Amino acid sequence: MQRSLSMGLTSLLPLKLPSRMETHLWYIRPDEVKCASLLKHYSQLLSPTEKDRVLQMRGDELKKNALLARTLVRTTIARYQTNSEVDPRSLMFKKNKYGKPEVDWQNYNNCNNPPLHFNISHTDSLIACGVTVHVPVGIDVENKERKIKHDVLAFAERFYSADEVKFLSTILDPEVQRKEFIKLWTLKEAYVKALGKGFSAAPFNTFTIQSKVGTEGCYNLCKTSEMTISSLEKTEKCYEEWRFALLELADSHYGAICTEDDQAGGGGPMRVIIRKTIPFVEDELISESKLL
Amino acid sequence: MASLSTTSLSFKAPSTRISQVLRKGSSFQSVTFGRFTSSTSKSLRLQISCAAKAETVQKVSDIVKEQLALTADTPLTAESKFTALGADSLDTVEIVMALEEKFNISVEESDAQNITTIQEAADLIEDLVQKKPAA
Repeated sequence: MQRSLSMGLTSLLPLKLPSRMETHLWYIRPDEVKCASLLKHYSQLLSPTEKDRVLQMRGDELKKNALLARTLVRTTIARYQTNSEVDPRSLMFKKNKYGKPEVDWQNYNNCNNPPLHFNISHTDSLIACGVTVHVPVGIDVENKERKIKHDVLAFAERFYSADEVKFLSTILDPEVQRKEFIKLWTLKEAYVKALGKGFSAAPFNTFTIQSKVGTEGCYNLCKTSEMTISSLEKTEKCYEEWRFALLELADSHYGAICTEDDQAGGGGPMRVIIRKTIPFVEDELISESKLL
Repeated sequence: MASLSTTSLSFKAPSTRISQVLRKGSSFQSVTFGRFTSSTSKSLRLQISCAAKAETVQKVSDIVKEQLALTADTPLTAESKFTALGADSLDTVEIVMALEEKFNISVEESDAQNITTIQEAADLIEDLVQKKPAA
């Protein structure tokens, strides 16, 4: 889809903040962004450090995707500003002490900054950004058709929890098993990213994510107690404060979202608003929720 | 596909310092590895382990190329970051598993997550291989 840019790009349309119970999920399909002058416009939004990182990517496609990822983050966050228009170029970012990126509001008037949290994930054919207010968010997207080079169960035994291995080993169809493996991967990654303390804070084999019995699309996080030494005394504790959603995006990807439930949102399943975007060109509301 | 070379970004030539090691294989020039230059007490060990490292780096590169399905002409050096080659976290874990199989070692998850370049992977492998009890 090509759009004529001769009339100039639209300025960024402002967005209403997500409510406490909502996650906004934005995604770009790199194969829909081909216009050289649009990409040039995007590159002008980036900080010098970001431009360097884009250039370090090996190959044009990776460079383009890295550019689109930073553009998605900057333009999306800029649109949520509650007071006057914010130039996406002016946003600054920092990392928390574990390396998780977050917005650095130091240049702005403190009172009016929305308490936005964001997280991005990319694959070669889809780049996504999740946005929440007040609570941390983690997202992960994976191509549904992604092939795992190793034997799926061997991989799970090495990295996943015992209960997850048990669950995967009950699936007889290797294709279904591979898909469930990938869904689990996205859910686990989303949790670790939401936690924001790095992978060593939550090694994959120390927690289990499973479907909530009797629900559609709701997942539970359970952890084996770290305090016990004897395996006979292991207790499973389920953590209600982490909420998950698993979605199908663009018919080609699984997307997992994890947010912290601070109880102020009133509990209940996560509401996700999914929008596909080409910054400065158009947004498309995909659906209110399309949970798996 | 739009090429980025027409934008306002300027391209820096990638470091080719270590790439000569990879292409020439066995012939070893006086290449300095950043981590070792500061420690003179290690210089003896350096002479012995350097040659091994070139081979290890090559094996790691081959595994990375395969996992990430890189084309033959993708510029690849020991300093190449996995993320710059397009690896996501799932790729990194698969690379670590392949390295474990290839070198018959076991990598701790915390170590695995800290590997970001081919050189770092090769260094970790050398460490683990040396620490293994003699057969």
